[in-house]
Amino acid sequence: MLRVENAQKDFDGFKAVNGASLSVEKGEIVAVIGPNGAGKTTLFNLITGQLKPNGGTITFLGEDITSMPSHRICKKGIARSFQIANIFHRLSVFRNVQVSVLSQKNRNLNLFLSSDSFFVKETQSILKNAGLADKHQEIAGSLSHGDRRLLEIAIALGNEPRLLILDEPTAGMSPEETATTISLIKRLAETRGLTILFCEHDMDVVFGVSHRIMVMEQGRTLVQGKPDEVKNNLEVQRAYLGTE
Amino acid sequence: MRAIDFQKGRTPIFNSILLAFLILAPAVLPAFYIYIFSVIFVTAILAMSLNLVVGHGGLYQFHHGVFYGIGAYTLALILTKTDLPPWVGFIAGPVCAALAGWLIGLFCVRLSRLYFGMLQISLGSLIWAVTFRWYALTGGDDGIHGIELPGILSGITRSYYVILIVLSVCLIALYRIYKSPFGITLRAIRDNPERCAAVGINVRRHQLLAIVIATFFAGVAGVFFVVVERSVFPDLMFWVLSLEIMIMCLLGGWFTFSGPILGAAIMVSLRTFAGVYTEYWTLILGVILILLIFFLPEGVMGFIALKLKRRELLLEAKKDI
Amino acid sequence: MEASQVAFLSAIGNHFLVGISRAMILFVVSAGLSFILGVLRVPNLAHGSLYMIGAFVAHGLTTFFGGGSIGFWFALLLSPLVVALISLVAERALFCHLYEREHLMLLLFTFALMLILGDLVKIFWGADYRSVTAPKLLQGSVTVFSSPIPKYNLFLLGMGPVIAVALYLFSNKTRIGKIARAAAADREMVSAIGINVSWVFAFAFILGCSLAGLGGALVSPTVSVTLGMDHDIIIETFLIVTIGGLGNMWGAMVGSLIFGLTQSFGVLFLPQFAIVFPYIAVVIVLIWKPRGMLKAVW
Repeated sequence: MLRVENAQKDFDGFKAVNGASLSVEKGEIVAVIGPNGAGKTTLFNLITGQLKPNGGTITFLGEDITSMPSHRICKKGIARSFQIANIFHRLSVFRNVQVSVLSQKNRNLNLFLSSDSFFVKETQSILKNAGLADKHQEIAGSLSHGDRRLLEIAIALGNEPRLLILDEPTAGMSPEETATTISLIKRLAETRGLTILFCEHDMDVVFGVSHRIMVMEQGRTLVQGKPDEVKNNLEVQRAYLGTE
Repeated sequence: MRAIDFQKGRTPIFNSILLAFLILAPAVLPAFYIYIFSVIFVTAILAMSLNLVVGHGGLYQFHHGVFYGIGAYTLALILTKTDLPPWVGFIAGPVCAALAGWLIGLFCVRLSRLYFGMLQISLGSLIWAVTFRWYALTGGDDGIHGIELPGILSGITRSYYVILIVLSVCLIALYRIYKSPFGITLRAIRDNPERCAAVGINVRRHQLLAIVIATFFAGVAGVFFVVVERSVFPDLMFWVLSLEIMIMCLLGGWFTFSGPILGAAIMVSLRTFAGVYTEYWTLILGVILILLIFFLPEGVMGFIALKLKRRELLLEAKKDI
Repeated sequence: MEASQVAFLSAIGNHFLVGISRAMILFVVSAGLSFILGVLRVPNLAHGSLYMIGAFVAHGLTTFFGGGSIGFWFALLLSPLVVALISLVAERALFCHLYEREHLMLLLFTFALMLILGDLVKIFWGADYRSVTAPKLLQGSVTVFSSPIPKYNLFLLGMGPVIAVALYLFSNKTRIGKIARAAAADREMVSAIGINVSWVFAFAFILGCSLAGLGGALVSPTVSVTLGMDHDIIIETFLIVTIGGLGNMWGAMVGSLIFGLTQSFGVLFLPQFAIVFPYIAVVIVLIWKPRGMLKAVW
């Protein structure tokens, strides 16, 4: 489904991503792990078009999406959440999600009809899914950290993505919130047949939900394989990988 | 932000009373006040149009006055230099302003915020400089005075009613835009353009459309400036005026819908009455601005909205969405 | 060569020199603006007002010393200091409390400052036109390209590069200059290594403003000192900084030269539209290079 080959990204000579390769098949949950600064977030930014790669190719459903602007990549069916809660902080929770639903349905250039008549049900059901239904009136900026992260995911779901990319979905969450988030991810994968690519520091989460794992180190792909294989491999390389 | 929606709480009653007062005003108030009200209406349209891009769009539209001026000059030139029927001018004014907005916007939206603003000031100043110097066409720094208007707009009371109707139409249109999917997306872009791109929104196209709409309404305001004042002059396009409109938005409240109307009303009244007592109006304006920045950054309407938030939230909880 | 050709060429040479000397004043003012933009990331709209105050103070000082040469040299020294003092007060009393706020608020603050200073000048000095006489040494003119050039313009031609080099040395060779440059590029880093960013900002603001004051003093013998000077210069320097590249001092130099020369040749070829030429140059540059000729500092 998604294929990244030999992606490269330089920041003023610093090679943040230096030959990373990755493939994700339909229906899979794939985790990307690696130490801080391994280039995970940069890799995601390359896939979803926030950054333009200096080299390599990225294909999605057989189509070359390398260097496409991010709004077009999104329309191809890739949605993402960000590491730092990237929400619309002056809008209500409901509107936050509605914006992405409107975008998905190509209605956001509609000028004269009230938004209240657009996709209320769809938005509500996404909010319910994300466990934010009772907070839909609140201003997004006033949410707690955990709720903001959930809202992040809910916004991405508004795009009805085929591939959902989550950048450290449980970072900074309490254990309960983490549990909620994991069950949400699992449920999404099962009920909606969603393909998920995510990166994460919490190894329990990684080995708990993912079908396949890719290990990054200094901008390149180190290992890619089933959790067990990687775990064994990890044991061997623990010293090399340090805390991970 | 949601607290000052038109349809909620006591606002419909308040609005009806206000409207009734404005309709009856010419019968009870001296002509001077009717003139001031007309100025306020025109300025309110202008401030509302700017706030669409600055307050709701988050764009650094630093030189909005240019589009106001283009609207005004287009009408003035058509009325004084051509034999075209007057209504052509009334349509051409806003359309030309929107065209200029589109053209300037095309270059500006490629850039990040501060560069956007600086480039707009540059391009706007070019238009100002040409207007200022092209004596043969625009009358240069003298402007054009004593413009003859069609019969329906002659007389201060008639033009007052026409402008009141225009203001109402503009408000309804802008309110619908504000509540529309486009308006909500625009505010989302203001809050977080990067995220908007990531949910599949073509941010630049949206911003450009917002600029075109805003400049169109600025053109409407410009056209009716001519109706009120019967003259045009290059100061309409000077960048200081553009920043004054921005102060109106700040004074009323960036993030509210109706704030700029209040801001325009307060500023026009203050300028008029301060002008009677002192020649140092800009000093007063500067002090007001500093006070606003330090003590009322959300503006008068924003302040009221924050105070009322609790009550409004309770109201909202009963609603379905 | 025919006489008419000679006259034409000498006119071109003359306008060239006048244009460059005008550019030097624009450079001094816009370098200050650019410096503030680079470090604080705010276009200082009050810059023009400080320039105007610099000119008025220069007039006041030369008159105080009886219109003689000494007065002018004093003015050149003291005007920037007076302006620095004004900006110090404004910065420490008000501006420094806004650094954490939205950008638009900083911009609007400088606008408020511009409005207030403009009216204060009106209150103190009134709306009359004043003129400053250049010192004896710089009065009269010399013949260059077979046409007379005022000596004062040649003085400006010399002052521009001197100030540019001084600024360059200051920001590259002194500690505080380096810190300011680093703060322009990456403020988090500077605060991370334990430098009080607020003071760096204050310093940059005051230095930039005093350059506006210096520019005002330098320009005073060539123009009539009056209200409204602020509006003209601020928009010009704004454009110069934009086409030069935000925060880039050499960009300010390049922009000033473009501006000064197009203006000067505009006067030669199409006097009525002389003020339009620089704007057209600006528009062409910006369409060609929207981020300015030279690299912006951030």
